This record gives sequence, structure tokens and C-alpha cells, in this order.
Amino acid sequence: MENLNAPPFSAKAVRRAWIALGAGLVLLAIGTYQGLFVAPPEHYMGEVQRIMYVHVPTAWNAMLALTFAFFCALAFLWKNDWKWDARLEAAIEMGVLLSLLLCIQGAIWAKPTWGVWWDWDPRLTTTAVMLVAFVGILALRHFVEDPRRRAVWSSVATVVAYASVPIVYFSVQWWNSLHQLQSSPQTVDGAMVTPLRINSFGMLFLLFAFTSLRSQIARRRLAAELAPPPAPTATLATGGER
Amino acid sequence: MRVVRAAFRKDLLLSWRGRAQGMAVVVFGATLLLLLSFAVGPNATTLRQLAGGFLWVALLFSSTLALTESFRLEREHRAIEGLLLLGAHPAAIFYGKALANWLHLFAVGLALIPVMVVLYDPGLSGIGGLIGILALGTAGISAPGTLHAGLASQIRAQQVLLPLLLFPLVVPVLIAAVRSSSLLLLGDPMGQARSWALLLLAFNGIFWPLCGLLFGHVIEE
Amino acid sequence: MTGVVTGGWEFVWAAYGITFAVLTAYGIRLASHLRRSREHEDR
Repeated sequence: MENLNAPPFSAKAVRRAWIALGAGLVLLAIGTYQGLFVAPPEHYMGEVQRIMYVHVPTAWNAMLALTFAFFCALAFLWKNDWKWDARLEAAIEMGVLLSLLLCIQGAIWAKPTWGVWWDWDPRLTTTAVMLVAFVGILALRHFVEDPRRRAVWSSVATVVAYASVPIVYFSVQWWNSLHQLQSSPQTVDGAMVTPLRINSFGMLFLLFAFTSLRSQIARRRLAAELAPPPAPTATLATGGER
Repeated sequence: MRVVRAAFRKDLLLSWRGRAQGMAVVVFGATLLLLLSFAVGPNATTLRQLAGGFLWVALLFSSTLALTESFRLEREHRAIEGLLLLGAHPAAIFYGKALANWLHLFAVGLALIPVMVVLYDPGLSGIGGLIGILALGTAGISAPGTLHAGLASQIRAQQVLLPLLLFPLVVPVLIAAVRSSSLLLLGDPMGQARSWALLLLAFNGIFWPLCGLLFGHVIEE
Repeated sequence: MTGVVTGGWEFVWAAYGITFAVLTAYGIRLASHLRRSREHEDR
């Protein structure tokens, strides 16, 4: 049966999130330093390729955030527990944020490499489509005031949007393969793996921290929305004047 | 099954009664085709190449009007609650409506083909295959479109939300339909159109069941 | 397209800079939201 009460705010979760954030920032600092100054430049793309050390971690975590959102949506539809809606809200926001960054990074990388801002790379193009899809779901949440409908409808929309990812990717890849032959480098040199891994974990901690904090904020708002209306005051009951 | 047929017939009847609205949708689509040609200029070669693409863009934009309209009467008279109270299964309501929407969109597409042919002058040899692609593509728009139209019809910002929610979902349909339409109209030496048609079939195979399953959540209070 | 791409540090700084700026801004927004709502609750 449905848990009618808003999920409680957890100060412990907030503390845990700040610790994770700290750890994430440390890792990102190390990984970024290594990626920018220690790792060797790539043979063909030179220094520009260093963008990879922030681009690949962003990509993995963006996908992770949206996948988590998908599971939150399923969990809410199945369990009807408000905490999943709070997590869904946080996960979608993080997914949108990271996807947006991914597209910006991709464009900055593409310009010196291919000469154009956008080269319709299947992964990046799918990310752009997902970005629009999930921004739409955020807009949906914004325009629906009733918390129950907001939760159910955005869960439905998330499930459908996420289900479309494989087929979007496949269709874009096929569409693009007829025109383009180049692809981004797949193999990563040994010396390049370490900063990549460090930054990936750093960003993972960041994702966990932000999602946790945002979810607690969502819980607070739910508590305010789901609270029963205040009891009528004495003045109203007696129909007092003024 | 009976409910599906009943819902389907009801929607068709409503569409027929409101056929002025339907014709307005076709005029809208035709206007779009005209405007898009202005974006390109009177270059016959370019226009020919873009014929398939523009047909589907016009059809997609017109579909938001048609889909919104299909839920307007339900909203105004709270008809769906009535159907649910009578014990109709939400999925049955969905399939009846989605099938009717499919037919409606298919009809709009058929009406737009002559306009496209006149304005963009592609070859006429592939029209038979094009009609097949039209059927598959409009089905692909109808399933998620009916789901999201049902959702958006209950929100005041529905006119911006329906396109915003629907368009990213139907990207595969757009890509596949445009590619196969262009191939059929302009010549398909390597026979690729069939593969794109299979993609459309796969899309329909995924989304018709999925949207039917989820529709219940959208209309229940 | 083969060959060596020379230079390009400005693109690297741009990519990293925008990424960290956006993430920092979002983190600050979250922190201020939490602080504001905690004050609201204590009232």
C-alpha cells in the first residue's frame, strides 16, 4: 500500500553527502592534474585529447545518473514509496546536468579535431536527444502541482524515455554510418588510464553527493506539500469580526 | 477486445463528426510543406532530395495537433473516468484510442503526399512503398503520442509539453521514416529501405506494448 | 583526417573550466537551498 507520509529528512544522509563530495573533489583534483600535466599528449590529436579525462568520466556518470533515474521510476511505480520520487527528481536533474556538460565538452573537442562544432557522433547525438527528453520531463514536473500525479507521470515518462535510448542510439549510428567514416579513438594508452579512472571515481562521488543532497531537498518539499492543512483558528470558527 | 473495438469506433465517430478539425490539420501540414520549401529556395534538385524529410517533419508537427484534439473531448466531459468506472481496462482504452489516432495520422499523411509531390517533385515510382512506410511511421508516432497526449491533456501547459515530451521519443521513427521515404522516392540501388522499415517495425514492437502497459498510470487518479 | 593537431590548450581549458564552473555553481545552489530550508524549518 502507498506510504502516504513524506519521506523524512535525514541529516545523516546530508553529512554523508558532504563527505562524499569532499572525497570526490580531492579525486578530481588529482585526476585532473595528472590528466593535464602528467599524462603524455596523444599522437595525432595532441593536447586537445586531454579533454578526454573529463569527457569520458562525465559520459559514464551521465549514463549512470539516467539509469538510476530509470530504476527510481520503476521503483516508484511498483512500490508507491515517496522516497523513490525524491530520488527520481534528483537523478533526472543530475542526468540533465551531466548530459548538458557532455554535449558542451563534445562540441569543444570536436571543433579543433574535426573542424566543426558538431559531427553527429552517435553517442553524442543520442546524448543530445536524451537531454531534450529529460529536460521535457523536468518541465513536466514543473507544470504539475499535485505531487502524486507529478510522481506517477514523471515516472511513466522516464521509463518510456529510457526505453528509447537503445533504439535512438542504433538509428542515429546507422544513419550516420552512411556518411561518416571517422570515429573517436577507442584504445587508451596505459599511462592515460590512471587519470581517467581517478576522475571517473571522483565524478562518481560527486554524482552520489549531489543526488543525495538534491534528494533530501526534494523530501523537504514533499513534506511541505503532503502535510495536512492547518486546523482552523478560533477566530474563524466563531466567525469573529475583522 | 470488445472494449478496444468500442473505443476505436467511438474515436473514429468523433473524428468524423469533427472532420472540419481534421481538415484544418491537413491544411496546417500543407502550409508547413510550403513554408519549408521557402527555407530552401526554388532549387529543384535540393527540393527533390528533401521531399521525404520535409513530409515527415510536417507530419510530425501536424500530429501534435491531431493528438491533442483526440483527448480534448475526453477532458471536457470527463469521459475517461466514466469509462473506467464502467470497468473498462485502461490498456483497452489506450489501444482503441491509439488505433484511431493511427488511422487519423495515416489519413493526414495520405492527404499530404500529393502536396509534397507537387511542391517537391520527387519521382512517383516509389509511392507504393512510401504508403507502407507512412503506415509504419504513423503507427510509431501514434503509440507514444497517445500516451503523452493523454498525460499532457490534463496539464494546463499541454501545448508545449506534448511536443517537448514526444519529439525526442520519436527520433528513431523520424530517422527511419525519412531515410526510407527518401530512398523510395529518389531511388534505392542497394535496397536499404527494407532495413529501415524493419527498424520501424521494431520500434512499434517495443512501444505499442510498453505504452499500453503504462497508460493506466496516466489516466487513473 | 590524419595529422597532428597542434596547440589547442585553450579548448582544454574551456572544457575543464566550463565543466567545473557548472558543477560548482550547482553545488552552491544545493547548499544554499539546504541552508534556506533548514532556517525555514527552525522558524
